[in-house]
Amino acid sequence: MDLLGIALAILGAAMAAGWAGAGSAIGVGIAGESGAGVMTEDPGKFGLVLLLQALPGTQGIYGLLIAFFAILKVGLLGGGAEISVNVWQGLAIFFACLPIAVGGYFSAIAQGKTSAACIQMIAKRPEETGKAVILPAMVETYAVLSLLMSIILLNGISL
Amino acid sequence: MAPAEGYGYAVSRLRAMSGRLLEEAVLQRILECEDLDSALKVLGETVYSGWLMELKGSSEFDKAIEAELLHVYSEVQKFVPDDRLVQLCRLPYDFHNVKVLMKSAILVRDGGERRFDLLTRLGNISTDDLIMAMESEDYRLIPFGLHGLIPKCFALWEQTKDIFEVEKTLDSGLFTAMRKIAADCKIDSAVFWVRGKIDAENIRNLLRMKRMDMEAGTVAGFLHDGGFISREKLLSILSEPVESWPRVLSFTDAAKTFSRVQDAGDLNTLLVDMEKVLDEYIAGMVENSKYKAFAPENVISFLWRKELEAKNVRIALVSVSNDTDRSMARGLLRHAG
Repeated sequence: MDLLGIALAILGAAMAAGWAGAGSAIGVGIAGESGAGVMTEDPGKFGLVLLLQALPGTQGIYGLLIAFFAILKVGLLGGGAEISVNVWQGLAIFFACLPIAVGGYFSAIAQGKTSAACIQMIAKRPEETGKAVILPAMVETYAVLSLLMSIILLNGISL
Repeated sequence: MAPAEGYGYAVSRLRAMSGRLLEEAVLQRILECEDLDSALKVLGETVYSGWLMELKGSSEFDKAIEAELLHVYSEVQKFVPDDRLVQLCRLPYDFHNVKVLMKSAILVRDGGERRFDLLTRLGNISTDDLIMAMESEDYRLIPFGLHGLIPKCFALWEQTKDIFEVEKTLDSGLFTAMRKIAADCKIDSAVFWVRGKIDAENIRNLLRMKRMDMEAGTVAGFLHDGGFISREKLLSILSEPVESWPRVLSFTDAAKTFSRVQDAGDLNTLLVDMEKVLDEYIAGMVENSKYKAFAPENVISFLWRKELEAKNVRIALVSVSNDTDRSMARGLLRHAG
């Protein structure tokens, strides 16, 4: 087994989970800050605020998913048979993890800001809740595209 | 914390609080009331209810308005990342209190009585501290440049015995302090808001002086530096008819405030109209904040709208209380955002 190849695959998995997770944490934090502000004045909006705050959290889940795929592929999970991964294959896995790492990080922060703005919107206009959910969901599209690309690339790598 | 995100909590809370600002329909209902008690009953259905219960008589409604405003100022001051924005909005009340205490001190010297009843609790400096400083003539601990300004104003009074000179000096000190706080905040829109406020005050003063037919030399002392329109420009239009002011000032946003000039019959009517229009002009300086989810100027915008709400409630209640023409009162109601 080529250790460098495995190391690169692990680095890719770590970045996918780490960066997407960090982005989600920042995004959920931004939305949570806004949510706390609104709930101080109107605790009855907890349900709506929670929904909007949770939206930027999905990128972290996507990153974790890709990290699992990557380490499953190189046989580090589940105690399967040892799989040989050369440097080029390891590098390919690393690059395959990048879309969700980068896309997840930035889209989660952007979604957090949009969610925060929408939380402010429902503070003033509770009747516009439907629209308030759609706006941050638009940002989600690009996180999903990053996830899809990472999955397709990982599937395309033959070991 | 990054500056943008630093205001996430504050702006969200302000948005929720702004949902409790009185709607125009409530003010219209107050104006439709036949007597003050019915009007206060309508006001009792709003956020003012808690304060109305503490009143000894219905004629004390001004105390309820002040209490609500003070509550909002104190609450906002607790959670905004930079409380200088709240200080900025409360500063005019500090200078009002100083004017009251100075006039009171002058009255006492002439054998009159102290007028502490005209003091307001809305300022940054507690009224007790201010009274103590004025009584002991120890101004060292009074902030906002007042420690130097008060002795200067007393000296000016001794020299001129002209209360207008004292007021001019204090007003000038107010705007200097406001400009300094806004600049220290390093928030562009706070600086714009102060500049807009100076313009509004200058235009108001210019119209008053025009009505009194004063000379340019006298008027110059009542105009303040730091607005978007220079003092020289303002002085140059003094000799022109008011109808041509919008044309001369067309390079500024303030020109649109003169849109009513053509409709106003005389300068007195125009002055009353302009009070309202200029208040709305000041609100307009930070109006764009409603599109910015994390902008600090939302603090100023909300507090100014709360001020306008207080003015509107006062106008409506005074109109009902004095049984004046309701349509006139309706015309005076401020609209902002």
